[in-house]
Amino acid sequence: MRQIDLKKNLPQVLLLVLLTGLILCPLITVFAKAVIIDGRLDLYQAWQTIASSENVQTVCNSLLLGVCVVLCSTVIAVPTAYLLARTQLAKHSWLDIIFMIPFMTPPYIASMGWILFMQKKGLFQQLFPATGAWSEGFFCFGGLVLVMSLHVFPFLMTMLKNAMLNIPASLEESGAVFGAGFGLRLRRIFAPLLTGNYAIGALLVFVKTLSEYGTPYTLGRRIGFYVFTTDIHRYSTTAPIDFGRSASLSSILVCICMVMWLMQNDITNRNSYRLVSGKGSRPAQTKLSAAGKIGAWLWVALVVLVAIGVPYFSIISTSLIKLRGYGLAAGNFTLDHYKELLTTPKALSSIWKSLFLAVSSATICSVIGTAVVAAVRRAKGFCKKALEGISLLPEMLPSIVLVIGIMLFWNAIYKVLPLYNTIGIMVLAYVVLYLPYTVQYVTSAFTQINDSLLQAGRVFGGTPSYVFRRVTLPMISRGIFAGWMMIFIIAFRELVTASLIAPPNTLVVSTYINREFEQGSVSLGMAMAVLCVLITTTALLVFNRVTGKEKGA
Amino acid sequence: MKKSIVCLLLALSLCLGLAACGQKQSQEQDQTPQLSGKVTVYMPSPAGLADKLAEAFTAKTGVEVEQFQGTTGEILARLEAEQANPVADVVILASWSDGLSMKADGKLESYTPAGSDKVNKGWIDSDNTLFGSSASAVGVIYNTTVVPELNADWSDLADARYKDMIAIPDPEKSGACKDFLAGLVTGTADGESIMQSWADNGLTVPGANKAALEAVTTGEKGILIAGVDYNAYSSMAKGEPLNIYYPASGTVVNPRPAMILKTAPDMDNAKAFVDFLFSDEAQQLVADAYLLPGRSDVQCENRTNLSDIPQIPTDWAKMMDVASDTAAKLNSLCK
Repeated sequence: MRQIDLKKNLPQVLLLVLLTGLILCPLITVFAKAVIIDGRLDLYQAWQTIASSENVQTVCNSLLLGVCVVLCSTVIAVPTAYLLARTQLAKHSWLDIIFMIPFMTPPYIASMGWILFMQKKGLFQQLFPATGAWSEGFFCFGGLVLVMSLHVFPFLMTMLKNAMLNIPASLEESGAVFGAGFGLRLRRIFAPLLTGNYAIGALLVFVKTLSEYGTPYTLGRRIGFYVFTTDIHRYSTTAPIDFGRSASLSSILVCICMVMWLMQNDITNRNSYRLVSGKGSRPAQTKLSAAGKIGAWLWVALVVLVAIGVPYFSIISTSLIKLRGYGLAAGNFTLDHYKELLTTPKALSSIWKSLFLAVSSATICSVIGTAVVAAVRRAKGFCKKALEGISLLPEMLPSIVLVIGIMLFWNAIYKVLPLYNTIGIMVLAYVVLYLPYTVQYVTSAFTQINDSLLQAGRVFGGTPSYVFRRVTLPMISRGIFAGWMMIFIIAFRELVTASLIAPPNTLVVSTYINREFEQGSVSLGMAMAVLCVLITTTALLVFNRVTGKEKGA
Repeated sequence: MKKSIVCLLLALSLCLGLAACGQKQSQEQDQTPQLSGKVTVYMPSPAGLADKLAEAFTAKTGVEVEQFQGTTGEILARLEAEQANPVADVVILASWSDGLSMKADGKLESYTPAGSDKVNKGWIDSDNTLFGSSASAVGVIYNTTVVPELNADWSDLADARYKDMIAIPDPEKSGACKDFLAGLVTGTADGESIMQSWADNGLTVPGANKAALEAVTTGEKGILIAGVDYNAYSSMAKGEPLNIYYPASGTVVNPRPAMILKTAPDMDNAKAFVDFLFSDEAQQLVADAYLLPGRSDVQCENRTNLSDIPQIPTDWAKMMDVASDTAAKLNSLCK
């Protein structure tokens, strides 16, 4: 009897060990590095490092940035979500895709686009010379907040939109029947129902902002605004390096994120309502007047212009400019940069490396992630909680912390497993970072499967593996594919991991672009950026086509 | 339909997986000593030159060159991070003082490269550990559409006429700029106050060498202080509206030291690579990249020659001591 138990639990235990090695060990290494100085536990000195005025400034900067980005993206996301969920604009489903573009654009490229657009003698001043130095006002804290909000708002918007769609019209109508005006209904019915979802969205935006490296690195550094990620990166890559310091900063960052998660959990638990039930409900619709409609479209156009128009105009035009010194001028355009890109082996190999990393990490994540979810569903007690918790941990933590941990940990065990300094360590790091995506997509696919289907399979004599292959797997395959696609897109453009642990001679798309920005030609970097966006968009379109067809079949 | 997609994906991931295995295998083979088929070189920009040198060396000797390209700061950081398991054989830095501090740490192998008798005086140190196979000098680079004519000396650049127009490469990233500042502070009487006066005049630090030059090329800034000359010459050759001069009170010519690490996994290849750096072929590549060649008998036609550049008297030992602090100080002044 006991033996059977062991056999049954073995896969779970193995998975738990695997996840511990991949995720927990690096994290523990970071904490250890922060408190162990010169071979002994030295909490006093660790505290001294943390409390140094420079670090306190960095922490305050990060928190301030996080709060402001949450506020600013709320201002952009809430009206847009409302328009897309509840008005006539809802029927234009292409708007959903359009609003995903800012999120798909690598943030370091978008912010570079903004810089080139707004800087002195930049594209804006070349287009509108009459405005004088007005656009240079962009280079301040507000500009940084704007650019970062424009990247993350689609996230919040999609979440709010889905939540709004789930609020049945009956609730609001009953409010109206009892004589509540529009404003009162908004305040007392609509807003409370959304609070739980908003808390989740706001928290994700906050954590994403704290973990974001690309924008603070390009734009923040320029205005002298240093945050966690830029400091951690600097301490670990520019001589004199100081891993102890980046580890202690990382530890603070982890603590902040954990506290935020607890707060969010609390808010969401106190404000969650069962809105989705088996009963049919119809979503509420607000009919906009003609003027309202014009206003709505103007708002959407404004958001699209700022979130997509400006950066893309800047990226594309820069990739076509021949001589940077003459800017936008007739005769100063060329396709040479693209030609150069497609003929230099270094550029091509960086594209292949990125594709390899994206495909392999997405595939490995899909396998491990699905196994984890399957195990979690079968496991009980501690095992279940531990598996679930650890597998989702990377999403709650800024990626730079995990990457530093992976660096330290794999360097420490280099004698045992010489994986560091090979492309293998990159695959490993990507898998660690993106595992939560698969876990989440597959979990949500699982929840839609009715247990009676599986029971029917067993009743008709299918072995567990047969039932898994022929019933479960086909039903969760869409979730796996969606997770795969998401990972592919994000891994393809990953910057901070690649710039920290890529072995010598290894450039990926993001580091290639960064290198061109810093040491080569900006135009070449932008041409690569355009190519990168084209590749991911094509992949997404193909994916949508394929899954769309499956649905039809 | 679904099956074929699954098959396709599986096949794709299998192919990529195999490709990765192949890669790993070849790396493992390379690490075994008897196969000494490669040399690992860490080189700073310009990337084009590094690639060409690597290519020419492979063509000549059949030894593969694994290179890591980065700024001086990144290379040093990488070396530090890899201390436990050294990977690099040869390191080239863009800063003589950083080379000297590596020597002081006892990391360098002594060697006399072939052709060392023709090398510029002082470009190989007395212990034969630093080999200056090329050099850059920093100058003042200006955008001719913003400032048509310029010949101001270092201290004149603090003039109100140039308020908010001046930029400088990040000395914590650019070795050349770091050494220049060290030279300015140690070699002239009022170096520190000149730095301060630039900062008061709105000096900005846009990034490493190329990023700083970019700010001047686009006209965002008008004047780049301590810009490395080879970047300017190559941009000017492309037709960008730039010009460069060396201020009259002198600048720092910075030999870029190539060094063999004591921990080099492929010592013989490392020595062969250093020999190659002083060959006619490599020196010509250096000159073509608008850098100053390390051998005195190689002249350049596309840029100012070494003898025509006014120089600040340099005391490298002193400069090495203050270089990092000066760099950090400039950055904090401009923050």
